[in-house]
This record gives sequence, C-alpha cells and structure tokens, in this order.
Amino acid sequence: MTATRRHGSKKTDLHKSERRTARLFIALPVTGFMIFTLFTLVAVFVFSMMDYNVFREEYIFLGFQNFVDLFSSKIYSVAFFRAIGNTVFMLLGVPIGIAVGLALAALLQAKAIRRSNKLFQVLFYLPSVTSVVAINLVFRYLFNPEYGLINGILGATVPWYSNGWLIKIAIIIKNTWSGMGGTMILCLAGMLAIPASYYEAADIDGASAARKFFKITLPLITPTMFYMLITGVIGGLQSYADAQVFAAGAPGAQTIVYFIWQYGINTGKQGLASAASLILAAFIMLITFVQFKISDKWVYED
Amino acid sequence: MSPLTKALRPKKVKHNRTGRVIRAIIVWALVAAVAFITVFPYAWMILTSFKGRLEAMSMEIKLFPETFKLDSYFALTDQDPSFVRAMLNTVFLELAVVPAGTFVTALAAFAFAKMRLPHKRFWLLFLMSGMMVPYAALMLPQYRAFSAIGWVGTPLPLIIPGLFGNVSMMFFFIQYLKSVPSALIEAGRVDGASWFGIFVRIMLPSMFPAIAAQVVFWFLGIWNDYFAPSLYLSGSNWLTLQALLAQINDNMQRMPDYPLVMAGAVISSIPIIVIYIACQKYFVQSLAMSGMKD
Repeated sequence: MTATRRHGSKKTDLHKSERRTARLFIALPVTGFMIFTLFTLVAVFVFSMMDYNVFREEYIFLGFQNFVDLFSSKIYSVAFFRAIGNTVFMLLGVPIGIAVGLALAALLQAKAIRRSNKLFQVLFYLPSVTSVVAINLVFRYLFNPEYGLINGILGATVPWYSNGWLIKIAIIIKNTWSGMGGTMILCLAGMLAIPASYYEAADIDGASAARKFFKITLPLITPTMFYMLITGVIGGLQSYADAQVFAAGAPGAQTIVYFIWQYGINTGKQGLASAASLILAAFIMLITFVQFKISDKWVYED
Repeated sequence: MSPLTKALRPKKVKHNRTGRVIRAIIVWALVAAVAFITVFPYAWMILTSFKGRLEAMSMEIKLFPETFKLDSYFALTDQDPSFVRAMLNTVFLELAVVPAGTFVTALAAFAFAKMRLPHKRFWLLFLMSGMMVPYAALMLPQYRAFSAIGWVGTPLPLIIPGLFGNVSMMFFFIQYLKSVPSALIEAGRVDGASWFGIFVRIMLPSMFPAIAAQVVFWFLGIWNDYFAPSLYLSGSNWLTLQALLAQINDNMQRMPDYPLVMAGAVISSIPIIVIYIACQKYFVQSLAMSGMKD
C-alpha cells in the first residue's frame, strides 16, 4: 500500500502515457469510420436534397422533392415500388432457408448419422463460400427456359426469365440452395449449446424424438433463429447480384439496391438514388437497432 | 419407472431395433439427397465447361460432353483483361488489404480490450453504430468522391478503406481477448516493454486462432466481392476475377457462351474451395461463434 502511495505520481504518469498510446492505437479505425461512414452519411443526406442539372452543370436544391418523387412521381414511383415489392417478396427465401437449415441440422443430429456429420457439414456449407457470381451464373444456366436442365427435367418450357413471379421464385430456390449450409451450421451450434441433461430427463420420461425436438430443441434455439432471421432480412434488403447477374436486370427481379445503382450510377439521377438509399439505410438501421436491443448487444463490459 | 413399463420393455426394444434401422435408412436417404442437390450444380458447372458452345445450348440434355474440350479454358486468356491478369489483380488486392487491415484492427482491439482508454464505451458504441449502415447507402457519395480524385479505374477505392481496419472483425477480437490473461501484459510491462512491443510480441501470437478465423473470412469476402469491384474497375485492366466473370456474362447476352462462363466460374472457385477445405475448421468454428454471441 505504502509503495503504491509513494510512487503515486509516477503511476499517474504511466497511466497517462498508457491512455495516450491507447488513443493512438484506435486512431485509424476511428478516422476511417469518420471519413467512410459518418461524413459519407452526411454527404448522402445532402445529395438527397439536390439534383444535378446536366445541361447547366450545376446542382439545384430541391428540399425533399426527391423523396416525394420516389413515392408519387409517375416516372419513378412505379420503378421504386416495383423494386420494394420484388425485394420484399424475395425475402421469403430467408425463413425458407432457415427452415431447411433447421431440418438439415436436426437430420445431422440423428444417431444414425452423427458420426459422419462433420463431413456433411463441410459439404453443405460449400455453397456459402462459393462466389455469388459463380452461383448465379450456374443457376442462370440451369433455369434457362430454352435449354436449361431444370426445364429439361420438367419437360416443359417454364418461362423462368420473362415471368415476373417465376423469376423471383427461381431466385428464392437458388438462395435456399446457397444459404441452407450457413443456417444449418448456426442451428447445429445452437443445438450443441443445449445441456444434454434436458434430453436425458426427456428420455427418462420416454419422450419421442419428435417431441424432444419440438419441446426442447426448438424453443431453446429460438434466439439463434431470430438472429438468422434478422441478419438474413438485412442481407436480403441489400440484394443486388441476383438482379444484376441472375436476372440480367429483368424488371421482375429488380431490387432496391439495383434501383439505386441504376439511377445513381447509370443514369445520373443521383439525388433520387440518394433519397432511395437513405430510406433503405434508415429501415435497415431500425431493424439492426431493434435486434441489438433485443439481444442486448449494446452491453459491452470492459 | 412403473411396473407396467418394465413389463413392456422387452417388446419395446425389439420394436425399436427395426424402427432404428428404418429410421437410419430414411435419415441417410434424406442426407444423401441433399448432398446430391448440393454437389450437382458444381458437377454441372465443371462438365459444361468442357462442352462446346452449341453443345451446351442443345435441346436434349446430356450430362457428359461429347469430347472433353479445353477450348473454353484457353478462351479465358483471350478476355480483356485476361483471366490470368484478373486473378493476379485479385491476389494483389488481398495482399494489399488483408495483412495491413488485420494488423490495424488487432491493434485497436488490443487497446479496447486490455488498455486504459478514456471514454472507451463511447468509442465502442461509436464504431459499432457504423456496422448498422448498409454499403448501398454509402456507395453513391463514395463513388463521387473517388471519381473526383481520379481513383475510379484504379484499385485504390478497394484498398484504402480497408487499411483503416474492419469493425466487425475488431469486435470479434475484443471478445476473444477477454479470454487472454492480462497477466501476460503485466509481465511485459515489468520487463519494460512498450505497449506496441507487448502487442507485437505477446498479444499477436496469442490471438492467432482468432486472427486465422477472421482472415480466412475477410480473404473470402474480398475474393468473392463483385459489386464494388465492378463499380470501380469496369473497363480497366484492374478488374478482379468476379467482376470479369460478371462482365463476360453481360457481354454474352446476345451470343451465349455457357462453357466459357462455366470455365471462368470453375477457375475462380478452385482457389476458394481449396482454401475452404484446408481451413474448414476455422470456417465452421468462427461462423458458429458469430451466431453464439447472443
């Protein structure tokens, strides 16, 4: 105790230099965040109030006109609402992917297969590490209405590309295929965290496998499933490659991010696209915030 | 256990044995079916890449090519830029971003987890809030800014932001560092080592499993990224593999050449699949960990 007191000032100096060093160590991520996120967000907000006049080469201030146009102008609102509708419809793939992943995880937990389950985990996760472009290209070929394998097997010319609903269904099928491995692994991890004693107790009571699954496993992995649902929805809201690569820009599969890209980069309606991207961002931030709140991620003890 | 159930037991065991066999057959059949569905698109991709262009568009579906042709693979080198160049570009991007970005991230995580830092909670929440902002919202101003300073068509927009570290990776490291004993640091301090020295000599080695798990994911993310590279690099020699693949697909809308794109998909997937199988332990582990946080 006395030693600490005697060297008190020296220790304060040490703490001071430690604080200074720590500040230096976090400087780069903090600076990066300020430039690439904070400042950029301010910029997108400013952009959303402007329109660039190509002929006079100047910016004009529009206030909230871009937002109003998105929802009510004859030219843009149709495309914007279509993009929202397509994106939301394709979100159906998220719960489907979770259900398939859960079923797979339950299957791999079966006694008969448990010993080889590592091999199947690795195999089923393979699509998750494969590039989105490669997957989209293969499935685009498989779904080709004229000479694709899927129509070949069905023996019919299903218009997968030209029908607005069918193209979205094709994308959901593709995303279920590529996403099931990831949801399966998260489900398995959740299942392994359940104490074995619960199942032992159920065994003594003579509960069937199905009963154990619905009464023990399912309720206890609900947090994992909620996490997957939220992250899946957030990812799905930002879907772009499906519209660009798989659908090659077909209107039936144009997503919100495709809309932003099309207007913001391709046709130079930056203000309008910025307004759309702000709406998307606000929505995603709201969902993330709710998830953080629910799963208590804000609590980070030092 | 009641006497009644005891009396029923022998019968039940007998019934269970046949039941178990049937159940095992059903389970294996289902898993085999899913395994087939998982593998088939890869097989189709590989087999198609050896077919001729017209063969791949034939109305009658044949699994195997008439003769195994390597033409599509050679045609990949005739692309502009060539596939070899695109692969080197991708490797270059990885090397420019991942090692330096990981080092910066780990250093910041160390400061957050193990050092005295004023307003630590504030800075953590500050950085964390950035994880909520989707890239789609930031893309337009960033694109304008990068094009204003003449970086469009160069790999710089894909490199520079990464050098400031990766926030989600940082949170993973902070969590991991909680399990690394602080006594190691105390020992280093007593020996008179600087904080940076402690980080490099003591912390980095003890963080190895966490770093390996995250580096593998970041590597994969950059390798498979397609949106930003095609935004910033289209029309330039710096095109990455995925962006080139998407460009070939765009260009062939009128004259489809499926063997060519499938060959490209095969070549661009091989490195990733090799790395995945070699490091599968890290993939499965860190993915499971990311879901377990809550």
